Amino acid sequence: MEENRYALQMQDITVEFPGVIANDHVSIDCKKGEVLGLLGENGAGKTTLMNVLYGLRPPTSGKIFLDGKEVQISSPYEAIENGIGMVHQHFKLVDTLSVIENVVLGIKEKKQKLDLEPAKKRLKELCEEYQLYVDPDEIVWRLPVGKQQWVEILKALYRDCKVLILDEPTAVLTPSESDHLCQAIRQIIKKGCSVIFISHKLREVMDITDRITVIRDGKMIGTIKTSDANQLILAEMMVGRPISIDRKPRSLYPQSEPVLEMHNVNAVDERGIPALRNFSLTVNSGEIVGVAGVDGNGQRELAECIAGLRKITSGSISIKGKPVTGVIADPSFLGFIPEDRQKTGLVLDFSIADNMIIKDYHEKPFAQKHMLQYKTIKKHAREMIRKYHIKTPSEDVKVRNLSGGNQQKVVIARELDPEPVLDIASHPTRGLDLGAVANVHETLLKERNRGAAVLFISAELQEIMALSDRIIVLFNGEIMGELDGESADQNVIGQMMLGQRAEVKE
Amino acid sequence: MFSIIVDWLQAALRWAAPLIVVSFGEVFAERSGVINMGIEGIMLFGALVGVAASYYLDSLLLAVLLTILVGAVLGLAVAYLTVSRRANQVVTGLMINMVSLGATDMIFAMMSETRQNRATTFPTIFPASMHDIPVIGPLFFSQPVSTWIAFILPFIAAYILYKTRWGLNVRAVGDNPKASATAGLSVIGIKYQTVILSGIFACLGGCVLSLAEVGYFSAGGMAAGRGFIVMAACVVGGWDPVRTALICLIFGAADSAQLRIQTVSSTIPYQFLQMLPYVVTIVALTIMVKHSLVPKTWGAAYDPKDV
Amino acid sequence: MNASGKSKTIRLPLLGDMAVSFGRTLLGILMGLVASGILIAISGANPFTAYGALLRGALGSRYAISNVLVRASPLLLGGIGVALGIKSGLWNIGMEGYMYLGAIGASVVGVFDLGLPSFIHIPLCFLFAMAFAAVWGAIPGYLKAYRGVNEVTCTIMLSYVAIYLTNWVVSAFPPIAEIGAFYPMSKKFADSALLPILMRGSSLHAGPFIGVLLCLIFYFILNYTPFGYQTKLLGSNPHAAHYAGVDARKQMVKIMVLGAIIGGFSGAIEVMGLNRRVYMDFVTNVGYESVAVALLAGGNPIGVIASALFFAALKAGGATMSIETGVSSSMNSIIIALCMLFVIGVGVADGRRQQKIVDNSKDDESESKELETAKGEV
Repeated sequence: MEENRYALQMQDITVEFPGVIANDHVSIDCKKGEVLGLLGENGAGKTTLMNVLYGLRPPTSGKIFLDGKEVQISSPYEAIENGIGMVHQHFKLVDTLSVIENVVLGIKEKKQKLDLEPAKKRLKELCEEYQLYVDPDEIVWRLPVGKQQWVEILKALYRDCKVLILDEPTAVLTPSESDHLCQAIRQIIKKGCSVIFISHKLREVMDITDRITVIRDGKMIGTIKTSDANQLILAEMMVGRPISIDRKPRSLYPQSEPVLEMHNVNAVDERGIPALRNFSLTVNSGEIVGVAGVDGNGQRELAECIAGLRKITSGSISIKGKPVTGVIADPSFLGFIPEDRQKTGLVLDFSIADNMIIKDYHEKPFAQKHMLQYKTIKKHAREMIRKYHIKTPSEDVKVRNLSGGNQQKVVIARELDPEPVLDIASHPTRGLDLGAVANVHETLLKERNRGAAVLFISAELQEIMALSDRIIVLFNGEIMGELDGESADQNVIGQMMLGQRAEVKE
Repeated sequence: MFSIIVDWLQAALRWAAPLIVVSFGEVFAERSGVINMGIEGIMLFGALVGVAASYYLDSLLLAVLLTILVGAVLGLAVAYLTVSRRANQVVTGLMINMVSLGATDMIFAMMSETRQNRATTFPTIFPASMHDIPVIGPLFFSQPVSTWIAFILPFIAAYILYKTRWGLNVRAVGDNPKASATAGLSVIGIKYQTVILSGIFACLGGCVLSLAEVGYFSAGGMAAGRGFIVMAACVVGGWDPVRTALICLIFGAADSAQLRIQTVSSTIPYQFLQMLPYVVTIVALTIMVKHSLVPKTWGAAYDPKDV
Repeated sequence: MNASGKSKTIRLPLLGDMAVSFGRTLLGILMGLVASGILIAISGANPFTAYGALLRGALGSRYAISNVLVRASPLLLGGIGVALGIKSGLWNIGMEGYMYLGAIGASVVGVFDLGLPSFIHIPLCFLFAMAFAAVWGAIPGYLKAYRGVNEVTCTIMLSYVAIYLTNWVVSAFPPIAEIGAFYPMSKKFADSALLPILMRGSSLHAGPFIGVLLCLIFYFILNYTPFGYQTKLLGSNPHAAHYAGVDARKQMVKIMVLGAIIGGFSGAIEVMGLNRRVYMDFVTNVGYESVAVALLAGGNPIGVIASALFFAALKAGGATMSIETGVSSSMNSIIIALCMLFVIGVGVADGRRQQKIVDNSKDDESESKELETAKGEV
C-alpha cells in the first residue's frame, strides 16, 4: 500500500476570503512518524491552512486524505474524530476550568456523570510518557504559559491523535521550554504519530523537522528535506528575497538626559498577582531601551503603568521629572503604541480622521468653542495619511476596513507625530509583514535620533537586538539584567529570559 | 408576634418558590453566556397558561405540561434571536417582555370566567392534620407541592452543573466559546439548550406564581419585576445554583415582609413596603457585585465564524 | 491615485449598506404587522378592518394627527434618552421611573397657585422635574460607574420603586394628593403651570415639538462636539476611551443623569400638558416603548424622530382600532414589540459583514479588492 505511507495529504486547498486568496492551491503531505515543518511569514496562510484541516474553515476547493482515505472535515469535532489534534497559536483553553476538565471537555461518552478519576489516571500516564508534567487539578489560569502549552498538547494526545498540529508553539516558550517541547515531539513521533510544526522561525524548524513545506502569500513555494536545507535557502523561499534584520547603525545622541525614571515600582495584574516587582529603570533621551522577555512576564503591565493606565501599588514613576498620576493623554508628552491596536489603540468603527484625534479631541485646534472643527480634523488626517503613507482612499474610511499594517500606521502617526518626549512601543510589529516591520523599525530609529526616549517592548529577540541601545530582560516582573545593545549575546539574553540573573552567570 | 414571624417565614418560602424555579433555568442560560432577559415576560405567560389550563382543562398535570411547552417555544424564540441572529440580549429580552405583557393581558381579557372563579391550585403533600403542628406545621407541611419541588431544584441544578458532562460543557461554553468549539462542542447547540431550559423554567415559575396559592391571574404585569429580580439573584449568587436560590429566598422574604408588616403597623405607608423587594435587590447587587465571578462571555454574542 | 475618484468607490457601498439596513427594517416592520394581523384575526376581528381603523385613527383627520403628536411626546423624549445611553454603551432603560420622578418634581411646585406668571411658573416646574429625575438617574449612574452594578437591572428596579413612590405621593401625601379621590391622583395643577393648548379642541401641546427640537440638538451634540465625540468613543471602544484618557466613570454618570433629566422633563410635559394632574400610573409601558424607539432608530437621534412618530401613530391608531373593532387595547404594545422582534430578527446577524478580520498583510492589493467586493455585495 504505497499511499498509506502518508498519514495526511492535503491536495490543492484553496481558501478565498472576500477579496483575498488566503490559500492558493496549496498541497502538503505528511508521512507517518514524521515532523513536517510548515514555514512562512506572518500572514502567509499557514494558520488558515491548518484551520481548514481542523474543520474551522471550509475550503473553497481541495481535498483532504487521511491515511489514504478522502475525508470531509466540517467541524473540529469531526477533525478530532479523524485523529487530528491541534494546538492553536492562541490557546484554546477554558481558563476557569481545571486542567483535567479541559482535557475531557468535548469528549463524547455515554455516561453523563462526570467521573474525572479515570481521566486523571490516564492523563498522569501521558504526563509520564511524554515528560510533560502538569497537575490535573490546577485551574488553568493559575498555570504559567508554558504549562498551558503542555495542557494543550496533552489534550490532543489524550484524544489519540494521529496528526498533531502545533501552530507557533514556541512563541510563548522560553528557550529551555522549547527544548523540552522538542524532546516531547520526538517522543510523540516515536509512537507513530505525525506532527505538523508551524513556525516562522528558521532555526527551530531546522532543529526539529524532517521535511519542510514553505508557504508564501498563500501559495506553496516548495517542500524540501530538512537535511538538504539551510537557513539561507529557507529564508529566500520564505520571503522571495534574502532577508536579514541587521543591527542598525547609529551615532551617540549628544545631549542625553533622563526622561523616564522608575524607582522600585510594584504593580499587580487583573488577578491581583504581582506583575512588576521592585522595578527600577531609567530611559534617557536619544536612546532605545529594548525590553526582552517571554510574553506575559510583566511587559504589558510595565507599559500600562508608565502610561498611567494601571495604578502602581508602590514606588514612583516620573517622566521628565513629572510624576505619573493618571492616564497621560497628552500626545506631545507620551507616545504610546499599545500592544493590542484593535482593542486599545483604535476605535475600529471610527473613521481615520476621528481616530487621529482620539487623545486631543477636546483641544485646540480640533475643538474650539465646544465645537469639533471637522475641517481642521480632516485636513490633519489627510496630512498624516500622506506623511505616514497610510494606504486608504480617503480619511473617512473606517479603520476597521484597513489592513493590519495600515492600522498600525494610523496609531503610529497619531502617537509619534506630535514628537513626544517618551515613546513606548509595545509589540509594534506584531502581526505585520516584513515591509511594514521595516517601516516601524525605521520610524523608531528616527524617533531616537530626534531625541525621544524610546522604550521598545518585543518578544522577538532579533528585532530587540537590531534596534536597542540598551537591552533589559524581564522575567516574572523583575529585571534579570541589563546589556549593551552593541555587544549583547543572544544566548545570554536567552538564559536571562529563563530567569537567570546576570550576576549568577560568571 | 411569634405567630407573625412564622407566618412571615411561611410566606417567604412560598414567595421565594417561583423565583427559585425561574433561577434554575436562568443560571444555566447565563452560565452559557446568554442573559435571557425575557424571563419576566415568559413568567407572565406561565402564570396565565397555568391558570387557564387548570381552570378549563381541570388538570394540574396538563397545566404544567402546557406551561413547559409554551416556555420551550418562547425560549426557542429568545434563543433564535440571541444565539442564531446574535441580536442584543437586552433588546430581545425587553421586547419579549413587552409582547408577553400585551399578549397575556389580551388573552386574559378573553377568558372572563377565570376572573371570578379560582383555578385549582397545587395541592399540599402532607395530610391536613400535620399542618397544625406548631411552627414546622405551617412552615413546611402546609406548603404546596410546588414549594417543595422548588427547594429541591437548586441541588439538582448544582449536581447537573458541576457533576455532569453537560454541566461542564455549559460552564466551558460561557467562559470560552471558541475553546469549546475547538474541543469539539457545538456551542450554538448548547446555548440553545440552556436558553430553552431557561424559557421552560421561567414559564414554570410563572405557573407556580399563580397556582401555588392564589389561583388567579391578574392583568398588568403580575410578575412585577420578579424576572429581573431573578437576574439580579444570579449575579449576587455568583451563578451558583444553590447560592442563587438562597438569594431568591432573601428576596422572597422581602416580598412577603411587606404584606406582613402592613398588618402589624400602619405608620409606614404600604407603598414604601411595596418598594422593599426592589430596594433590597439594588442593595444586594451593590454589596455583592464585586465578589461575583462573571462568566467570561456573559451577555456577548458568539459568532462561530470568528476563528 | 485620484482621491476623489476613489472616495466614490467607498461611499457607494456605505449608501448601499444604509439602503439595505433600511430595507431590512421595513421588512421587519412589515412582518411584525402581518404577525399582529394574524393575532387580531385570532382574537376575532377582521385584521383588514382593524388596520383600516388604525390608519384612520392615526392619520384620518387633523385631530387624529394632533393625537399622534401628543402621544409622540414621551416617545421622542424617552427615545432620545435611551439613544444617548446606547451611543455611550449604556442601557439607560429606566425612562418610566424618570418620568414619574419628573412628574412628582413638577407637582411639588405645580399644584400650588404661587401667584407666578406662566412664563416663570412653567420653567420652575420643569426645573424641579429635571432636578428630581437627575437625582434618580444619578443612583444607577453612580452604581454602574463606581460599583459595577448592572444598569439594566438597576434602572428597572428603580422604575418599580418610582411607581410606588408616585403612588404614595398622589394617594397619601397631603399637600399634593387629592385625598379621597376615586382614583389615586394629585391635585389639579395651577393654571399658571399648565402648558398652553396649541390647537383648539385637541390636546396638542408643545411637547412633541420640543421633543423633535431636542432630537435635532442631540444629533448635533453627538456629531459635532467634543462631548459627543467622547460619548461615542466610550460606546464604541471603552478600552480605547480609557487609553485616550477619558474618565469613563464620570462620563457614564453624566449620560445616565442626562437621560434621566430628559425623562423627567418628559414626565413633566405629560402631566402639565396632557393630564393636568399626576395620576398613579400615567405612563405605563413607556419604559419599554422608549427602548423600542431608540432601537428602531439605531441610536441615531434623527432616527428617533421617525421611529417615535411611527410608534405614536400605531398607538393613537390602535386606540381607535380597539374602540371600533373591539380588539384589546393591549394590541398596541403587541404590535410595537412584534415589529421590533422581527426587525432585530431579520437585521442583526449580517450587520457584521463589513467587519472582516484584519490579519492579512497584503496591504495594497487586498485593500482595493475589498472595496470592490464590498461594492459588489450591494
